[in-house]
Amino acid sequence: MSSSTQAPLGTQSITLKHDDHVIIDGLDVTFPAGKVTAIVGPNGCGKSTLLNGLSRVHLPSSGHILLNGKDIHSMPAKQVAKKLALLPQETSAPDGITVRELIRFGRHPHQSLFKQWGMDDRTAIEFALQAANLESLGDRLLDTLSGGQRQRAWIAMSIAQETPLLLLDEPTSALDLGHQIEVFDLIRELAAAGKTIIMVVHDLAMAARYADHLIAMKGGEIVAQGSPKQVITPEILESLYGVHCDLLADPHTGAPILVNVRRAHDSGASKAAAPSDKKQAELAL
Amino acid sequence: MSLSHSSSAQLTPPSGYWLLRSKHMSLLLDRQAIRRNILLSVALLLIGILSLGVGTLSLSPKEVVLALIGQGDSMTQFVVNELRLNRLLAGIYTGAAFSIAGCLMQTVARNRLATPGIIGIDNAAMAFAVASVVGVGIGLAPSAMALTGAASATALAFIIGGGSGTRGYRFIVAGLAIGSVSAAVSQLLLSQVHIDTANEAYPWTVGSLSARPEEQIPWMGWITLVGMVVSIFLCQRFQLMAFSDSVMTALGRTPNRLRFSAVAISVVLTGFAVALAGPVGLVALVGPEMARTFAKHRGLPLVSSALCGAIVMVLADFAGRTLLSPIEIPVGVVTAVVGGPYLLWILIRKPKRSTL
Repeated sequence: MSSSTQAPLGTQSITLKHDDHVIIDGLDVTFPAGKVTAIVGPNGCGKSTLLNGLSRVHLPSSGHILLNGKDIHSMPAKQVAKKLALLPQETSAPDGITVRELIRFGRHPHQSLFKQWGMDDRTAIEFALQAANLESLGDRLLDTLSGGQRQRAWIAMSIAQETPLLLLDEPTSALDLGHQIEVFDLIRELAAAGKTIIMVVHDLAMAARYADHLIAMKGGEIVAQGSPKQVITPEILESLYGVHCDLLADPHTGAPILVNVRRAHDSGASKAAAPSDKKQAELAL
Repeated sequence: MSLSHSSSAQLTPPSGYWLLRSKHMSLLLDRQAIRRNILLSVALLLIGILSLGVGTLSLSPKEVVLALIGQGDSMTQFVVNELRLNRLLAGIYTGAAFSIAGCLMQTVARNRLATPGIIGIDNAAMAFAVASVVGVGIGLAPSAMALTGAASATALAFIIGGGSGTRGYRFIVAGLAIGSVSAAVSQLLLSQVHIDTANEAYPWTVGSLSARPEEQIPWMGWITLVGMVVSIFLCQRFQLMAFSDSVMTALGRTPNRLRFSAVAISVVLTGFAVALAGPVGLVALVGPEMARTFAKHRGLPLVSSALCGAIVMVLADFAGRTLLSPIEIPVGVVTAVVGGPYLLWILIRKPKRSTL
């Protein structure tokens, strides 16, 4: 797991379409090496589409995706899979599979017909189990795990893939708060070990706290990018979500914390403080 | 938590596997699958020997074995090796072919109902082959015609069922429609020819091992063998089809390419098997299902499916020949009568760990 100073992944004016509907039009973006980048933005802003484009799931109708400077679609699929792993949002595994078996599938790009099992496979799987803190659950059936454990098992599969790049699409979308933290802590550890992480995150507060680099998207375009402090400003938040808010600094990390979030056309803070507002409760963590 | 790779000198295989290792290769052998397949092979052998002994001339298993290894009197040898063995082999080859085809198609569609028989491939293959037999259309051999029919039906089902979105019921319903049209075409063709030709072709159109053209049987053997070997070679990647397209891509496979190769093998096996034995499509449903019942282990039980398919086919033919003897019930009728309830039982019983 080595990090290079050059951006390992980027796009060159890519256009991504769903049928005839253009989602992203001629986008250029690069992702910093060895950092955790979070792509944020309102629903339908094209963040998941971008991630799917980066990971070859969604074919661009024009433009290039560059992996270490080479067009990703000109490289053999298996070679790319040794460099870039993806954890999609919707995961379904074969029934009756154990955690260890799931993780073993992460070794697929490194294996072939006559090279089905080697020391490197064993080490990578044990390492993934250990890194994802799943050592005691290796032989459990995946279906019997809690949501957070299952998500860590999927991340462990990506870890076993031993790629310098890891892409995650809303890795915590179905998890409760404790499990979200668990997953984000794991992601930070992976970045500390040198992986470049790119994730789509729905929850802005979490993105601000756990990412080094934020890319804010709206309508298929990048509205702002930079450190959480640079990106999370009242102005940008208003243009992204149509909300007003106040910002505080996290006493531990200095990361921005959103408080008092209210719709932009409402005046005054009192209305928005209604505890039933789920969005606010989330953002004000 | 330490994030450094732990080093250990001992290379142990994953639990449940044997590791076969040399300098240049390492193979994992699924222990349970090997045990299971040995048992199934023994079962197939025993059933085969029993079925070789049954007929106008009744033979004991001992006499059959002696005849097979070239001992015993010449009459017994002739009956076993010349008259009955071909039929048994035809059953084994086609049963295995149907069943591998079924297992692959189910995996592609991620749906246990999506076997070649259900999605109309069998019937289309038959319609084309019937056309060849009754002398309508191009003068291709029935096998070639059956293969053409199978391929056309699959392509059509894919186009109507919506391209790459093959899983789910659109594909199956499209196939059902193609299948019933094809069956009707076969009947129509048969009604246009002389009654004797139609009579001769009839058992084959419901699925039978009695109408088999002898010279096709060794060919079928080779095709089944090649189909099986290729599927086993590709099994590692075929297993990925149990995941979503995104995961397949992330692990370095192109989903459409995987699907195409699995469907292609399935179509070739089905086409040739139909040309030989007629549309005995239920074997493709029952064979893999049986294999999964025995295989508590996950993965793609290709070899077990082949063996189970062969067993089902031979048993069904065996039953068809003995139950109402001297009247022979076509194997397709037996599999339908036995296979239907078997599938219902599968539906009703409590679901266990399974692969699909």
